Amino acid sequence: MYKLILDPTTNNIDVVKRIADNAFIPFDEANTDYQEYLEWLAEGNEPEPAD
Amino acid sequence: MSTIAVNAITDANDGNTTTINGVTPNSANVVGKNRIINGNMVIDQRNAGASVTPINGTYVIDRWKQYQSAASKYSVQQNAGGVTPPAGFANYLGVVSLSSYTSSSADYFTLEQTIEGYNVADLGWGTADAKSVTVSFWVRSSLTGTFGGSIKNKSSGANRSYPFSFVISVANTWERKTITVIGDTTGIWLNTNGLGITLSINLGTGTTYSGPAGAWAATNYLSATGATSVVGTSGATFYITGVQLEVGESATEFEHRPYTTELQLCQRYCCIPADGSITSGAVIATGAAYTSGNNNTPLYLKVTMRAVPTLTQNTGSGYYVYYYNGTSSSTSSLTLSGASTNDCILLYSGASTATGAALDLRMNNANAKLILSAEL
Repeated sequence: MYKLILDPTTNNIDVVKRIADNAFIPFDEANTDYQEYLEWLAEGNEPEPAD
Repeated sequence: MSTIAVNAITDANDGNTTTINGVTPNSANVVGKNRIINGNMVIDQRNAGASVTPINGTYVIDRWKQYQSAASKYSVQQNAGGVTPPAGFANYLGVVSLSSYTSSSADYFTLEQTIEGYNVADLGWGTADAKSVTVSFWVRSSLTGTFGGSIKNKSSGANRSYPFSFVISVANTWERKTITVIGDTTGIWLNTNGLGITLSINLGTGTTYSGPAGAWAATNYLSATGATSVVGTSGATFYITGVQLEVGESATEFEHRPYTTELQLCQRYCCIPADGSITSGAVIATGAAYTSGNNNTPLYLKVTMRAVPTLTQNTGSGYYVYYYNGTSSSTSSLTLSGASTNDCILLYSGASTATGAALDLRMNNANAKLILSAEL
């Protein structure tokens, strides 16, 4: 499970939190955690919305 | 200025002791020949020498990752067992089997290091000009027999692998092993910041992931067929150090790099900007409040990382403290934002810091720890 994270300064969402271990994962296709997130999305899952 | 253009420079006896300005260049002192990082197991940022029973797919000593199909079959520790390393080394990676586990055909237990594509691009793998490489390492085990491992790709579905075997002749004795691998002229081998070449050392892999030693195969073999299983014997030990992968068909002396160089090479993949167990009150970085309570602290990374890193951290009440306007407040965790391969922003909220207030962010607990990971 994942949750989108809003940067209150820029109002951008460029990080997703992996809830299992509170890892903050940037949107970078070279990042292996982000690659796993993309695979999870491709399975039809959706992250929790940002606060 | 004159130019010398010759095919070889040798000494008067046709040997290899020619000196240039007092230096004798040879295959043993070429800088950068070892494509393995932390092959001497000196850097252990995550665990600082502590024993861990890792979960599948996690890193243990820097740059060394392990995979397991069944949990809790072994522990890993820098210098486990406290034996004397081989001459010239101060550290080794130690695996201790925690049970007598019989691997099924689909089981896998393996210790791996994947080399970034940039660092093996010159090998030309996947082309007709593929160069041979030689892997060498020191190994010591309570078990004897034939052990295994492989060289493989992990991109494109891990469809190229070269299983190899090596024999440990005497129990509890350091032995140096060398394996030469003919360069692979087919397959897809990345030469970018992605998965380059993976060296896999087998700890108890089943038949599905084991294949004939000494030949390339179009599948994902982790070991040679019939290799000894470390996890198959309770209390068995498997220690390794001095791991080197170099171009050529013979092993040369291990390349000992300066500690700082080795650490910086590791920090491209794992950086720990704050560790309370070392200095619990140390500064992480300074920042400012963008608006009241909206606190930002830029963090400049020690080296350019391979990819934009993931932030993980130890969290707990009051683990991180920030000082501002003559007072302080604390937070249990930090949030990552605006990250790049060179820097990132740490966000935290709570106290009503005034807009524009300068912030001094520090650790506030011995267990506080930030880890930035851009591993392969």
